[in-house]
Amino acid sequence: MEKLVKLQIDGTMVEAPAGMNLIDAAELAGIHIPNLCYLKGMKGIGACRLCLIEVEGLKAPVIACNTKVRDGMVIHTKNDKLNEVRKFVIDLILSMHPLDCMTCTKAGGCNLQKYAYEFDLKESSFTRKKFGYPVDEANPFIKRDPDYCILCGRCVRVCKEQGTNILEFMGRGIESKVLTANDKPLQESGCTFCGSCVDACPVNALLESDRLRKGREWEYEKINSVCLLCGNGCDITVSTKDGRIQKINSGAAAGSAEKYLCAYGRFGFDSIEAESRLTVPMKRIDGELKETTWEDALSIVADKLRKAGKEAGFISIAGIGNEDALILKKIAKNVVKTKNFDTTLSLYGETDSFRNSQKADIDKADLILLVDLNPSQWERALPALDASVRRRVSRGAKLIIINSADTKMADAATVNLQGNEISILKRIAKALIGKGFKADKKLGAAVKDVEVTEEIEKAATFIAEAKNPLIFSSPALFDASANIALIKGKVISVGLESNARGVVLMGLTTEGKTYKEMAGIESGKGQGAKSAVKVLYAVGEVPLQTRPEGLEFLIVQNSHLSGLARQADIVLPSATFLEAAGTIVDYMGRLKYLSKVIEPQGESKSHREIFIALAKVMGTAIKLPTETEVNKAVRIKTKLSFSPFIKKEGLDISPNEFIESINASLINSSRLLWLKETEKGVAV
Amino acid sequence: MSEEIRTEEKGKKLEDIRKEAEEKACPVQKAVYFIDEFIAGPMCSKCYPCSLGTGEAKIRLTRISSHHKNVSKRDVQALKRIGLNMIEGSFCKKGRDTGRFLIETLAASEDEFIRHISGFCLQKECISLVEYKIHPGQCVMCGKCLEACTHEAIIGEKRESYLTGYLPFEILQKKCTKCGECIKVCQIMAIERLSTELPELIAK
Repeated sequence: MEKLVKLQIDGTMVEAPAGMNLIDAAELAGIHIPNLCYLKGMKGIGACRLCLIEVEGLKAPVIACNTKVRDGMVIHTKNDKLNEVRKFVIDLILSMHPLDCMTCTKAGGCNLQKYAYEFDLKESSFTRKKFGYPVDEANPFIKRDPDYCILCGRCVRVCKEQGTNILEFMGRGIESKVLTANDKPLQESGCTFCGSCVDACPVNALLESDRLRKGREWEYEKINSVCLLCGNGCDITVSTKDGRIQKINSGAAAGSAEKYLCAYGRFGFDSIEAESRLTVPMKRIDGELKETTWEDALSIVADKLRKAGKEAGFISIAGIGNEDALILKKIAKNVVKTKNFDTTLSLYGETDSFRNSQKADIDKADLILLVDLNPSQWERALPALDASVRRRVSRGAKLIIINSADTKMADAATVNLQGNEISILKRIAKALIGKGFKADKKLGAAVKDVEVTEEIEKAATFIAEAKNPLIFSSPALFDASANIALIKGKVISVGLESNARGVVLMGLTTEGKTYKEMAGIESGKGQGAKSAVKVLYAVGEVPLQTRPEGLEFLIVQNSHLSGLARQADIVLPSATFLEAAGTIVDYMGRLKYLSKVIEPQGESKSHREIFIALAKVMGTAIKLPTETEVNKAVRIKTKLSFSPFIKKEGLDISPNEFIESINASLINSSRLLWLKETEKGVAV
Repeated sequence: MSEEIRTEEKGKKLEDIRKEAEEKACPVQKAVYFIDEFIAGPMCSKCYPCSLGTGEAKIRLTRISSHHKNVSKRDVQALKRIGLNMIEGSFCKKGRDTGRFLIETLAASEDEFIRHISGFCLQKECISLVEYKIHPGQCVMCGKCLEACTHEAIIGEKRESYLTGYLPFEILQKKCTKCGECIKVCQIMAIERLSTELPELIAK
């Protein structure tokens, strides 16, 4: 438990954790200290001077954003002198601002507007300054209008802290401006279009570019949910109006290192209404896919599955909800009576690693180890992990990278250990034991013969000194990484899909044929072998280019007409993750709740609804899993124990390509396609 | 507003600027010089009151020294407000000292500022508030000023022997940029710099 200190703010007694700044502490008491440049979670820079407050016993006012709470402190946040400085600053900013709140999209969510209202400033008493800077709107994601900029620098700092570092200040005084390098448009400046700057901007200078006349803050219904597009499972806040999604923002708590959302999660939602979106079931007639009814489609599917029985197989992505996973297993095992059900998880992970993976909070970690992981915001491979780790490093945490390959993250590393991961992990274990840490006898014996080098010693010293070391490992190296966690720290197995952990906990792991066998994938060669089943039921955007060989019947249940769906015999339209409620277990082990943000398009239904309807046609009633059922499956107790230092074989797919292929329809049917093509163009 | 305070100050220090400013006789020119040099040099541009405040102060001082058509006492009040808030709200000593300089200069010579608003610069340093005039009685019609003036603001005919009926030398105020080149070449000091006439003072 953190130490609490007591202080008095405007006559109210407040208890705040030691080390907290005064803005956050006042917020605990429901007192708002005005600020424009402060960003929760980051060190205050005191540029805007709005947060000046008086502390009894101090001669001059101090900035609340960068003053920590002390026991017995008595502070006053309001008096005439302080208000005059605040009013003066807002007055000056207003003199440089286009005062067009009546048409401004940001109205209602604009901090400048809020303070102008609070300080009763209709217009500036100072000289009107007009700049007429050009607007950067050559991309379909972010509109940058420097005329609205109030020079708070939040976007610059947020971009720097997460390591993308695109924006910078140029010029001095009132002529300052936020620019990209050489004032190039965003798409030519190395921008990843994550939109963190949009979330940080207090005014209308940085905004989603498709927002024009699509409603303002007060018209939106805000719904919290989770993005299921990759293994990070980021929290999102979706704004809807008239039953349509207008924008998606990061939903993580303000101040958390996890407050991040990549371009897929933030801007991919227009794929929901794309042309390739499936809205009615389809069946193959004379070699062509034709629309049909649910009744017809399900009776055909039921018939095929019933006849195939043990020779039927189910493959699914691991980016489905816990409820979907539970029901999928039931329908396969109890209704169709086949043991062949597996997910794409088996391409990159071994189930035990997810079962044993621990729970952790990255915001508490003061040392992070990345083992055999190469997250990248630029490649959009677990981009949120990349951003959060870089944020933690910017906020003072240390980073040790253990990877046989070169990683982009290495530029942020405190110690970069490039080489055979098993050998490095063994040496670190030995170095830690050498420092007097207790370890299992078997573990001691396993590392007896390795040598500790200077670099390893350095890394081990950091681990020894850290309070909360946190190890992120690829599933293939989880056991070996867990051996370090047995000595000190926590270990997380990082999957590539949002509900990898949940799917394993729900028991959707094969008892018969594997994903590869059913899809006809040979290790190292890709697709080409004969499928191990006769009737294949594929759920979600499974990363298969062609229909597996030797299949008699292929059912694809997906939200979009993917490449595989075009080759199917029956296509069932499913809801996207924004159209169905449910739960997942994210890579950190947290049970997260998804909301049904909007109604499913057309006749599409959630996976679980389709399964339940199908079971009914097949003569078995399956109930929706209850919350208790899910909770029980999630709440398993595991204990780490020593396992040999081995890297698991056969889990060698490229994470970047995999994540791109499970999102192929999303990318191809939204403005993300523009981004992909532009990035290719820039790379050439 | 850039994150780091600039450790290396470009060029002048605040003290040097103050000393140089003190050399000016007119308080408005003092303040103009100080603020201009501060913005160009030691200002770190980190916090709003100083960074935006000096920007506004520069605009107001220009209005006063150039006798802008809408200049009023409100400009002096605005300067006062900027100064006070810079003292109270600036991040660093440089900003607070600049605020103090503004306030002290205003306090010491508020009358002078007010006079400028009426269009009169006692020290004849604010070029918008002065006029150049040729004393017809002293002028020997040598024509040197005509040669020196690059703005064609001087008319007149050079005196030639045995001829009468010359056009006398005169400065066209509309064309004059008050560059002062004519004064430099006039060896007999027939050109004078005058404060523009102030109705209220004349009335007294």
